Amino acid sequence: MAEMVKLFVNGQEVEVEAGKNLIDALQVVGIEIPHFCYHPALGADGNCRMCLVGIEDGRPPLVPACKTPAQPGMKVLLEDEKIKKIQRDIMELELINHPVDCPVCDQAGECTLQDYYMSYSQQDSRMNVEQVHKDKRLDFGCGVVHDQERCVLCARCVRFTRQITKTGELGIVNRSDQARVTIFPGRPLANRYALNIVDICPVGAMTSKDFRFRQRVWFLQKDPGICHGCSTGCNIYIDHHREKYGDDVIYRFRARTNLQVNGYFICDAGRLSYKTENENRQDRTLVDGVEVPLERGIEAALDKLNRARKPLMLVSPDSTLEQLWAIKRIATLYGAVLSGYSDAYVLAGDGDDYLISDDKAANRAGLQLLDIDSGKESFAAALADADLLVNFNNDLFFSPGNEDLQEALEATDQVSVCSHDRPAFSRATVILPCASYSEYGGSIVNRNNVLQRFARAVCRDADPCDIIEITRLLGGAISDNARAWPGLRQSVPALSRIWPERIPVEGVTLNSSEETHVGA
Amino acid sequence: MEVKILSARFDIENANRIDVARQHGAYQTLDTLFAMEQADVIETVKASGLRGRGGAGFPTGVKWGFLPKDTGKPVYLAVNADESEPATFKDRYILVRDPHALIEGIIICSYAIGCHDSYIYIRGEYTSQVKILQQAIDEAYAEGYLGDRVAGRNFRLDVTVHRGAGAYVCGEETALLESIEGKKGQPRSKPPFPAVVGLFGCPTIINNVQSIASLPFIITNGADAYKAYGTEKSCGTHLFGISGHVEKPGMYELPLGLPLAEVIETVAGGVWKGRRLKGVIPGGSSTPVLTPDEVATVTLDYESMAAHKTMFGSGGIVVLDETVDMVKLVENLIAFYHHESCGQCTPCREGLGWMLKIVRRLLAGEGTVADIKLLRELCDNIEMKTVCVLSAACTMPVRSYLDKFRDEFEAYAIDGAPEQTELREG
Ligand SMILES: Cc1cc2nc3c(=O)[nH]c(=O)nc-3n(C[C@H](O)[C@H](O)[C@H](O)COP(=O)(O)O)c2cc1C
Ligand code: SF4
Ligand code: SF4
Ligand code: SF4
Ligand code: FES
Repeated sequence: MAEMVKLFVNGQEVEVEAGKNLIDALQVVGIEIPHFCYHPALGADGNCRMCLVGIEDGRPPLVPACKTPAQPGMKVLLEDEKIKKIQRDIMELELINHPVDCPVCDQAGECTLQDYYMSYSQQDSRMNVEQVHKDKRLDFGCGVVHDQERCVLCARCVRFTRQITKTGELGIVNRSDQARVTIFPGRPLANRYALNIVDICPVGAMTSKDFRFRQRVWFLQKDPGICHGCSTGCNIYIDHHREKYGDDVIYRFRARTNLQVNGYFICDAGRLSYKTENENRQDRTLVDGVEVPLERGIEAALDKLNRARKPLMLVSPDSTLEQLWAIKRIATLYGAVLSGYSDAYVLAGDGDDYLISDDKAANRAGLQLLDIDSGKESFAAALADADLLVNFNNDLFFSPGNEDLQEALEATDQVSVCSHDRPAFSRATVILPCASYSEYGGSIVNRNNVLQRFARAVCRDADPCDIIEITRLLGGAISDNARAWPGLRQSVPALSRIWPERIPVEGVTLNSSEETHVGA
Repeated sequence: MEVKILSARFDIENANRIDVARQHGAYQTLDTLFAMEQADVIETVKASGLRGRGGAGFPTGVKWGFLPKDTGKPVYLAVNADESEPATFKDRYILVRDPHALIEGIIICSYAIGCHDSYIYIRGEYTSQVKILQQAIDEAYAEGYLGDRVAGRNFRLDVTVHRGAGAYVCGEETALLESIEGKKGQPRSKPPFPAVVGLFGCPTIINNVQSIASLPFIITNGADAYKAYGTEKSCGTHLFGISGHVEKPGMYELPLGLPLAEVIETVAGGVWKGRRLKGVIPGGSSTPVLTPDEVATVTLDYESMAAHKTMFGSGGIVVLDETVDMVKLVENLIAFYHHESCGQCTPCREGLGWMLKIVRRLLAGEGTVADIKLLRELCDNIEMKTVCVLSAACTMPVRSYLDKFRDEFEAYAIDGAPEQTELREG
């Protein structure tokens, strides 16, 4: 437990964490101190002056809250005419040279400047002289587009490239009201996290080429999710929207803060992986290349399963614990060999020492927990032996390396349960569409053994079934996530005391040496 | 009225050369110095009443006392030779006419605070001055006053000259440190103060050229000899650069405490061409202007200046005669500070440009009385809300002109721009 101190805000006593800066300390007790330049991941810079607060009997009596640690007995003034006037004045100065082109600005609706104008200013413009003009639509690379006129020069973006990626592509050049954010000539942003700048920019000065002008943010439904781009399991917001007469479409992923997993940021590849959820989806049920209703596809699959002497089932390292459990159960039911072979998901050397990991699978740790054999040799042997392969969404050709399996795969009759139309699935005689991770919920374990839960976000018209539902249709006993848990608890020691509904939002670290205890 | 303590060698030909300087007393303090305990040096400087000559007037010995003890980190001295405040031209006299006084002062200060690496940060435009300074430093090395064994003692001291690149803001002590570190010259927000976290994160003392060059006299002659000049609370002498509409502009060393009117009259020869006095900028462009009535009562010391709500700052006195258009002066003033704002913090970055445009509107005859009010209000809105006091260096004087010469601004607002007349001669 952190040390707590008592201090006063507008005369009211509050108890907050000692030593934390006033912005963070008071936020915990629900008191907002407006700020542009401070960001918890980047620290205090002190340039925007929006966070100035009064300190009664203080020397000096006016301090930037971002640079002022909470101290016992301190008398902070916020609801004070003088402080409110300062906030209005700073807002006026922030806005005099601002284009206020909100109607065509992507940030509108989630813009700190807009929000603070409503909360702290609402003052009419007194600007009756020519504004400062700067450059617009600057392509900074990595899909980041900069508008110098909208920039409030908080330097968050600059500090991000210096402190987080340590690549230092951005700087502020020139002085006075000619100051502007820029790149070195011919040296654009070149790092794998650049699009976080768009998230942390408090205004519409940094926009994403990918998202620009595609959707007004107030139409977006912003659901929490977990990125399935690699085994880090970064927390994201899935921002999606169903246009009138249109389908539910994901417009972007954004970083969601989880200090235990990804901090405040995500990688660009993960951020842009939302596209995979929209595109190239396998929504049709196919039997021998002919589209049929799902029931017919299930019948065909059942027929094959019942006749198979040596069925082999392949699971995906992206599947949730619940899905894996359900598949494991029907594998037993049909006496099938079960494999989690998925070397193709590992791109050796691609990871870094920050968020990106080599392993592109979201739940490999889950495979291990459920004791599912993932070896190549055993898979190859089983495949050579099998007369039916049921592939539950495992993309064997995610990356090169499995060409040697081609022949055996071609020689084996296949049922593919898949979310996407990919070469690994297309050879199957029965293709059953299933949901992808934005369309189902469940539990996964990341590379650091953090067990996280996520819920369904998207409901597309095609509405493919969760893999669990497919297993049920194929005769399995598990019909939903909840029904998987008694079995998981019973057979997986690390999960024996886990009640999924009680897993905290930031996840829980599974400890192999002792039982992880959640709730109960 | 003039005295010659700091400026003792100013009029001696070639006193910038070490031989000449030595013939006239340079480096003769060092025996006394090294016989003293470090703490005694600091005490002597405290007792002398010497206050910082960079403008803010902070007691020099007290500042040295803020250095934390035994941090295990090196202590740095950065001498501020950025001298960029308009109307200020005193430090250049020291740099050019008596650089060895500065070097000797650096040895004294470094010994007192335990510094072995000292920097002189000199304004970029001082291109000829930097050569003379560097020559003097080279001579001091050659003669053993700098280097591994200062004056044969077991004390190392290196002095590095760092040239600025033409930014007034780099005279602000923390921007100066950033600049030496090779970063963009932007003030740091304080606390922490440089005495605790300064150059390269180490304890650092920053002093003005004149403050440092005042030390040899104090150590040689003792605190009391220094205090014999000036007033009780404003001790010693100061180099005053008098410019503007006077008969005898120039650089004069004066004891503190003299009546300003008398100084203008007797030292600088009075307002030129028999014209009437309109006002006086007492200490560089950032100090609030004084009206003739105030000039009649103020004396050149910290207290009297404070009582008149101004400062003698950097000692740059500008005398303004009756022909000066105060609105144009203010335009010139804001243009300077706007141009020099580092652009880091919102009020200064955005506000000074706005103020400039408002004054230009007035000058163009398009302004209104409301614009004058807005200008006045902006001074309040910006001042003391910023990271450093550069913004206040603009708003404080602007406010003083608006309050003391309001009618001139209103004339522009009500009657429009006057017919162009030749306002300046000579
Ligand atoms: C914008 C700005 C410019 C300054 N320029 C100078 C300068 O050119 N020379 C100087 O000695 N001090 C300058 N100062 C004051 C320094 O910050 C600092 O107070 C001074 O160098 C301390 O030395 P002193 O105590 O010996 O006066 C400036 C301050 C500000 C805010
Ligand atoms: S940055 Fe904010 S205030 Fe500015 S135009 Fe965009 S939405 Fe409007
Ligand atoms: S672009 Fe955005 S993040 Fe960067 S300085 Fe400007 S406002 Fe701040
Ligand atoms: S007040 Fe002006 S010069 Fe000082 S830090 Fe702020 S913007 Fe820079
Ligand atoms: S948040 Fe404190 S100055 Fe910007």
